[in-house]
Amino acid sequence: MTKDDTMPIEIAKAKPAVSLESNPGDPAYVKIRDLIYGISGIYHSAEKLYLLISRCARRMTALGVTSPAEYLEHLTTRGNRTTELRLLLNEITIGETYMFRHPAQLDALRNVILPEILERKDYVGLKRLRFWCAGCSTGEEPHTLAMFLLEEKDKLLAGWTWDLLATDLNDNSLQTARAGVYGEYALRNTNAEMRRKYFNDAGDKKLQANDLLKAQMHFDRLNLSDDSKMVFQKGLDVIFCCNVLIYFDLVSKRRVVQHFYADLLPGGYLFLGHAESLFQVDDSFRLVHFTGTTAYWKPAAAPAGGGKK
Amino acid sequence: MNVELRSQLRTQIKQLDSISTAPAILQPLLAMLRLPPDDIKVEKVVELVSYDGAIAAQCLRLANSPLFGRRETETVRSAVMALGLERVRSMLLGLCMNRVIPRDKWVIEPEAFWRHSLSCALITQRMAQKIEYPEPEKAYLAGLLHDLGLLVNSVLYTEEFRECFRRASEEHAPLHVIEEEVLGFTHGESGQMLCEHWGLSKELADAAGCHHHVNLLPTAGPLACLVRLSDLLCRMRYLGYGYEEIMGIDLGGDAAWQTLTGTYPALKTMDLARFTLDIDGSMEEIVGTVDSVFGVKRIAAPAAT
Repeated sequence: MTKDDTMPIEIAKAKPAVSLESNPGDPAYVKIRDLIYGISGIYHSAEKLYLLISRCARRMTALGVTSPAEYLEHLTTRGNRTTELRLLLNEITIGETYMFRHPAQLDALRNVILPEILERKDYVGLKRLRFWCAGCSTGEEPHTLAMFLLEEKDKLLAGWTWDLLATDLNDNSLQTARAGVYGEYALRNTNAEMRRKYFNDAGDKKLQANDLLKAQMHFDRLNLSDDSKMVFQKGLDVIFCCNVLIYFDLVSKRRVVQHFYADLLPGGYLFLGHAESLFQVDDSFRLVHFTGTTAYWKPAAAPAGGGKK
Repeated sequence: MNVELRSQLRTQIKQLDSISTAPAILQPLLAMLRLPPDDIKVEKVVELVSYDGAIAAQCLRLANSPLFGRRETETVRSAVMALGLERVRSMLLGLCMNRVIPRDKWVIEPEAFWRHSLSCALITQRMAQKIEYPEPEKAYLAGLLHDLGLLVNSVLYTEEFRECFRRASEEHAPLHVIEEEVLGFTHGESGQMLCEHWGLSKELADAAGCHHHVNLLPTAGPLACLVRLSDLLCRMRYLGYGYEEIMGIDLGGDAAWQTLTGTYPALKTMDLARFTLDIDGSMEEIVGTVDSVFGVKRIAAPAAT
């Protein structure tokens, strides 16, 4: 999904056919906003409506549509409405990020979170871990996590197996994630050793994830607002959902977070984006501070090992 | 800490004045710190600051730093007026503390120590304002002084304390836990004694003394709780003692948080994740200020005059 700090770049690239200043108050945009909200839970408040307008502008250019009212028809009454809605959602949820963007999260996993979870699971003889990147965008986050897990395979995770599920609503993003071809921007924080071990040269100054790395991840399209799908994500140890919920309004956010809570095993952790907070969204999770990062913890019936002090 | 050790430490701290390299203004400054805020005279403060060229220069730098509003003050008097008497008073003590221990006795990197102390001061003050604690300036001072014991331990038990620090860094463990093992007391306890020896208020002394001793928090009062929470926050935000501690901290479940919410219900309306983000945002400024004001390399030159 979209990463907030890259948005201005995306807008700059958009070159909308419809001037942003011309008709931001057009009631059709408000209707499109409500439509998108109803389907995806992504809500554009008055201050963020310009983002929606710029995303619509790209689709309108592609379709040769000039008025928001006409575009609304494409989304609601025309025969192509299902496809068009999906295409617009793809525009709204586009984003760029890079691998190993938050090393502090990986440190917290390695030093505190995983040792704690391993100890508890080892006790019941269950040597399998489940991770989920919810809103994985173009796959940089799950690729990072997959490399991290492979690096720990013979150390911390010796004798353990894992599932790594990565989902997103955006078809284009998922396609990129599955292909695993990345340019210098996505690889800017990936060191030479990681590149050598887990990537092949894909030409054009790009690298492609090798089969070993790809085999670690399972990609799927999932709408976080789709309750019927959300209830099936069970038995998770750690969920990553970074800079995804910022596009949700309070009600939808609360619902998604409640699903996350139910989907996690007791003692599991939820990572959100750096600037995100669950304050007044949900109080079942406990905020835990680690060096340079924070995560939300689903309390375990009995407190685990060296975790919270 | 047993009774013998306690009285031995107390005696040693009394002798600290003679072996330390504290600037001449320390004693008059301490006397001024005991006065109620309304009794502090501008002229007296300006005189104290101006007495020592190096301290006057640092004071100006601090007043001009972005942390304190990036004012363009050129005279000591305008710096003092701009910062406010209470703030200058706390600041001066910080600047004096920097020279309380001889250069070769520092165990913790001085930069790390000042980053930690100053950030803890600022965060304690911010948190105090959030919860509507009536004396935020006192909270600042409590944060600034909470680790005075680290200096005491560096001077009085240099080798043993060096060992504590080495082990704590290697084991990524909290320093006070290792101090307890090796020295038989923590920097909290020795810091508290120094505060008492200097005649600082009981609240300030308790804040230093209790920030690692959870069982004492309910009786120590809100300042100690505030200092404990901001100390933990700093240590989880690269503003600790210069090494990484491996732990996860549930601040909302901490005894200090629980104790505070009883007296200050406003704490419940504080978005801790957002608060932490604000700290991340000010980190660069804190580090910049400390490096320009307390930075040892820069301090060394004027201090020799």
